[in-house]
Amino acid sequence: MARTDTVSPGVTLDEASVLMFLVAGKQFAVDLNRVQHILDYQAPTRTPRRPPYVEGVIQHKGRYLPLVSLRKRLGVEGPGPENPAVLLLAGVGQDPVVGLVVDQVVRVLSLPADKLLAPPPRVFGIRAEFIRGVANAGGRPVVWLDGTKLLTSAEPITLLA
Amino acid sequence: MTFPEAVGIVAVHPQRGGPATAKGECLERVAPAKQKARPRPEAPTAQEKFLLFRVGEEIYGLGLRGLREVLLPDGVTLFSSPPHQVCVALEHRGRKIPVIRMSALFEASPAGIPPTARVLLTQGQARPLGLLVDEILEMAEVDPARVGPLPALATLLSPSCFRGLFTRQDHIILLVNEDGLGGLDEVVQFYATGS
Repeated sequence: MARTDTVSPGVTLDEASVLMFLVAGKQFAVDLNRVQHILDYQAPTRTPRRPPYVEGVIQHKGRYLPLVSLRKRLGVEGPGPENPAVLLLAGVGQDPVVGLVVDQVVRVLSLPADKLLAPPPRVFGIRAEFIRGVANAGGRPVVWLDGTKLLTSAEPITLLA
Repeated sequence: MTFPEAVGIVAVHPQRGGPATAKGECLERVAPAKQKARPRPEAPTAQEKFLLFRVGEEIYGLGLRGLREVLLPDGVTLFSSPPHQVCVALEHRGRKIPVIRMSALFEASPAGIPPTARVLLTQGQARPLGLLVDEILEMAEVDPARVGPLPALATLLSPSCFRGLFTRQDHIILLVNEDGLGGLDEVVQFYATGS
């Protein structure tokens, strides 16, 4: 695979497949290989003394998963949509699978290497450390998030409007 | 020719693929007729009993094995136990026992002690330990194989405080671990200072 200088170090690819979704009106993406399922939102069982962005746990196919609100992780105030979606992501932290609540799933996107840019120091207020790359879709930026770093860091993030 | 592996009836079929005799007959190994197996009685699965209780709006469970008594919260005295006021004292049969205010530990509804509250007197690390809960609910029997691990992201408390999760009537129930609770700093300090 050709190495490119235009994406974050460690990302070597000709074309990346990502799942694009919306949070607070902004376009984000995660590595499609990490996405196991997309579920309708279900109210979780709240666990005691959970991190502020963790809503609780849900059960899926006999397994218990943490449910993480990406809105809360990105410091977005206010309630989200009535029917958000849940992305089941594998291998993004200590737990085998994590449920990530997003506002709306948009579509699968193929990002050729030459269309993927390394992030500037901050994008929408999010530090580059949490971003794998930035692309353009429909004339708007898409921020490809590093799910592992997002969920294993305790650093607060505030998404800028 | 001999076929040491042959264990069943050997049928002779002319001109069909398979081992052949010197006469050219084709032998086909046929599986022995299976005897009808007698149905085995199912081994009973080991069930463990748990007492379900409420703290705030969620339901939790405590293993019955270590449970000694269920007490009214009369005689629970608060004393300064930074930082959470988690551990309080209960006078019981002439001795002071540490009682964990589960609503404080779990950051559940903090408003006082409801009239339905009870103290579950159990053993934590081989020492008496009380758990002050909002309400006793019912007993449940659970196959330990059905208890799943608590995800790491689910809580900032020590994982040793919990045994795992199980589902009952569409409710996910978190099982506490009395030995883990008995190892909390506040409880250890309680016994160390002789309070």
